[in-house]
Amino acid sequence: MKLLFHKIRIPLIAGLLVVTAAFTVQAQNPRIQTISIEHLVAKASRTIDVNVDERLMKMAAKLLSDKDIEEKEIKQLVAGIKGIYVKSFEFEADGQYTTADVESIRSQVRGPSWSRMVNVTSKKDGGLEVYLSFQGELVNGLAVIATDDREFTVVNIVGPVDLDKLAKLEGQFGVPDLGIETTKAKPKNDK
Amino acid sequence: MKTIRINAVVLLSFALLLHALVVQAKGDDFKSVVKLVENFYGVKHQGIPFLAKAGMKVATTAARIKGGTAKRIAEAGSVKIAIFEDQAFDGQFTRFRSTLNEALNQTWTPLIQTLSATDEEQTYIFVREAGDKFNVLVITIAQREGTIVQVTLSPKNLALLMKDPEGTGKSITQEATIVDQE
Repeated sequence: MKLLFHKIRIPLIAGLLVVTAAFTVQAQNPRIQTISIEHLVAKASRTIDVNVDERLMKMAAKLLSDKDIEEKEIKQLVAGIKGIYVKSFEFEADGQYTTADVESIRSQVRGPSWSRMVNVTSKKDGGLEVYLSFQGELVNGLAVIATDDREFTVVNIVGPVDLDKLAKLEGQFGVPDLGIETTKAKPKNDK
Repeated sequence: MKTIRINAVVLLSFALLLHALVVQAKGDDFKSVVKLVENFYGVKHQGIPFLAKAGMKVATTAARIKGGTAKRIAEAGSVKIAIFEDQAFDGQFTRFRSTLNEALNQTWTPLIQTLSATDEEQTYIFVREAGDKFNVLVITIAQREGTIVQVTLSPKNLALLMKDPEGTGKSITQEATIVDQE
């Protein structure tokens, strides 16, 4: 019995390590899955699905020139970014998407690597939630959940990104104009 | 010994055939997409000569783009186009989208897909590398008409496309189907 345990101990430990590593990698992956809200395509009056993935980013990085101003600008903006994914739905009536739909996205940004940015609001009506994903101390992804009575948008950027970069990306690469603004903490005596 | 040699020859031939099929499939994606749309919706595309013969609008393509004075997005002589006019495309957005993505997934990268249930319009833009340039495939389907355009873009124009995928996608289709009233 002791011999049997000794024999299976090493493969068992190795197996556990592999499983743990797989879970860790998955937990740190800042890619948001939107398959759970795919059914809204049938209800939406307009759906936008943007998918600038790593393949395209690499192509752009490889072939865009540093001499041309426009190409250089794009190259700098997307430097290090591994993907930009946008899923946006517009509806003709209220109540076309449910709390469960929003929750299916929100649940993915509740992991330990994600934290919500509390000082971010939108100039527009409706709710805006911005989350950053960290790998150690470095940001490796961002997620935006924008909700309105008749709109539901999820923006997911994979790679090192901050609010400045997000603001620059608004209106480009299929990232909608979210009207993002950062609110600074007011001094106590400020009226 | 002889058997081994024959097996090697058969294997090599098979490998060559497979490679040829893959290369052909890649080169022929445009035709495959046209066929896919035709089969899915039970529609038929019209060739440019057909439109011209019928005394209808003439959609100018590569030649026009080559000689045009306006700023062009597509590289000269790179345009492939298929037009569907006055035919019924009966929605089925989600199923068509899945079918299309499955068919093109191996060789193309989807960039942007917009579906408008209100106007019954669908637009799909796919990109792939083509040497030092890029192939862009734009598929637009409305209630009664459709357009499939494949163009080659320079990196600079890819930058424009990435900056404004929806707008540039529309420009590509408009550019490829500039209409002359004769």
